[in-house]
Amino acid sequence: MIAPDWFREDRLPHIYCTGCGNGTVLNCTLAAVEEMGWERSETAFISGIGCSSRAPGYILADSLHTTHGRALAFATGVKMAKPDLNVVVFTGDGDLAAIGGNHFIHACRRNVDMTVVCMNNQIYGMTGGQGSPTTPLGAISTTTPYGASEPAFDLAELAVAAGANYVARWTSYHVKELTRAVTTGMQTPGLAFIEVRTQCPTNYGRHNKLRSVPAMIEHLRSHAMLVEKRDRLAREGRPIPEGTFTVGELVRRNRPAMGVKQ
Amino acid sequence: MKLVIDESRCKGCNLCVLVCPYGIFREGTELNSRGVVSPVLDRPERCTNCRLQALYGRMLCGVCHMICPDQAIAWVEERPFEPHRVEVEF
Ligand SMILES: Cc1ncc(C[n+]2csc(CCOP(=O)(O)OP(=O)(O)O)c2C)c(N)n1
Ligand code: SF4
Ligand code: SF4
Ligand code: SF4
Ligand SMILES: [Mg+2]
Repeated sequence: MIAPDWFREDRLPHIYCTGCGNGTVLNCTLAAVEEMGWERSETAFISGIGCSSRAPGYILADSLHTTHGRALAFATGVKMAKPDLNVVVFTGDGDLAAIGGNHFIHACRRNVDMTVVCMNNQIYGMTGGQGSPTTPLGAISTTTPYGASEPAFDLAELAVAAGANYVARWTSYHVKELTRAVTTGMQTPGLAFIEVRTQCPTNYGRHNKLRSVPAMIEHLRSHAMLVEKRDRLAREGRPIPEGTFTVGELVRRNRPAMGVKQ
Repeated sequence: MKLVIDESRCKGCNLCVLVCPYGIFREGTELNSRGVVSPVLDRPERCTNCRLQALYGRMLCGVCHMICPDQAIAWVEERPFEPHRVEVEF
């Protein structure tokens, strides 16, 4: 087990389904916390509602499991009251971009000093597989039985546009790269947003011809394209393959931030 | 060191089977007492961690350990004089 000092072992095994990517993201985030050498007493984990948002319940540190979509609002409050705390937010695509969309853009705009890890499984996992703002075009969900017809949000690009100091995207397959990105995010003052494309075999894979867990991971792996490669293709005027998404560091900058530790 | 799967946690997703460069994890075929088909280990002593973790004093490779969503993979100390297969450097 990774980071045994940070897991509430008495709460394991966790509630996640077989092969759910959320457990992997939790491993990588805690590995990053361990690498940072943070003390348990100076670290708080905050989340909203959803499968992804249950993550803090498995961590041996103070946590807030708040209302749906409001994780960033609570986290901003925590940071304003106690800027010395290290704040990590776990959230899902529905939690962050649907009901919590406004909190998301404003937390990025304010550049509140915290690390936000979004487990983007492109679906409302917990409530039975309704479409979310990141469900890709054509995907089947319980609310889009004929295929999603609305364009999806690109969460990482949204965070870049809204002003976050650090933005990266990886998948639950890229465990080493993801851990490094979360660590870099934690080191960067201001808001660090790390989007993780994860698999929800139960409520996404099952309806979209990706029944097995390895099939879902293979889909993530083969559709991920390094930002550098995408930029090179664009420069050379070559086509960017359909259905791919960028992975890597999208931005690292030094805009004025709020709530930075003195 | 010895590679072990904690069967009280493993849910049988087979992600470890997918990622191990040595193919040490193989899809299992038998249900365990929890009703889960956990992977079986094929000559785990080939894992770099079994051979060199103690020498280097840190985790090597470790991708199975990181990707395992159920925190079920670990390396434990062997008991003294535990029977050993001959270790082969690949
Ligand atoms: C105010 C409110 N509205 C709706 C819900 C129902 N609800 C619970 S979880 C959820 C969606 C979660 O989706 P996401 O954030 O993507 O998390 P996942 O389960 O996919 O990890 C919804 C709509 C709720 N709990 N509270
Ligand atoms: S419903 Fe989906 S997101 Fe929720 S625990 Fe199961 S696999 Fe994970
Ligand atoms: S990755 Fe972990 S939970 Fe999945 S089969 Fe392997 S040991 Fe079991
Ligand atoms: S640490 Fe690497 S080599 Fe060893 S079992 Fe895990 S994936 Fe295989
Ligand atoms: Mg979701």
